[in-house]
Amino acid sequence: MSSASKTKDTKPEPIAYSETALRNNAVVVEYCRTSMAALSGSTAGILGLTGLNGFAFYVFSVVVLWVMFMIKAGPNWNKYYVSRQSLLTNGFFGALFTYILFWTFIYGMVHVY
Amino acid sequence: MASVYKIIIIVGFISLFHAAFSAAQHRSYLRISSLEFTTLPLDIVIQAVLSLFAVMWGVLNVSGQLREIPAAAKLNLIKWENQMNISSFYSFNHRGRGLAYNYGADPCKDVMESLE
Repeated sequence: MSSASKTKDTKPEPIAYSETALRNNAVVVEYCRTSMAALSGSTAGILGLTGLNGFAFYVFSVVVLWVMFMIKAGPNWNKYYVSRQSLLTNGFFGALFTYILFWTFIYGMVHVY
Repeated sequence: MASVYKIIIIVGFISLFHAAFSAAQHRSYLRISSLEFTTLPLDIVIQAVLSLFAVMWGVLNVSGQLREIPAAAKLNLIKWENQMNISSFYSFNHRGRGLAYNYGADPCKDVMESLE
């Protein structure tokens, strides 16, 4: 009985988020993510990565971008993002296609021709 | 402040292009000397990766200001004095008039006396 009341007490209060601020932040994150995919794809092409190395480089640059987001937001990232995990994983495959496009294009420009 | 990040982006792009041209030249050198391509020289790799990080950091700061997502973030900044300042609820005819130093002196009474 007492444990039941305890869990009821510790239940987190629902937080109200501002719709416009959430959308604004999502737009900023999406912009950075697309730029990151294009730039890291170009870099992978310059470096002449092939096969799984290129995909490992993509994962590496996604993690670096996430760390940069965390550095920019500072210790109280809760004010800007709902969750850190979704910031890392959102749009992973969507940006991957942009990455592959730039990777193959720049690889062809630098290493093939 | 934003112009600093724009300069970082431009310099990073130039550096990235330079790394690309260096890589292309390295490839053509290998082709001429008929060597097998294994990996790029370390300085080109370092330059490419560092300029990638620089441009990413610049884009991150140029892309726009993040807004605070709690709904009350803007409302919390309003002071109580501003919140309560509603002109329709102003009341001038209240008992606080009794605190004025010339409360007893009623201007209407003077007018009445002069009329009499």
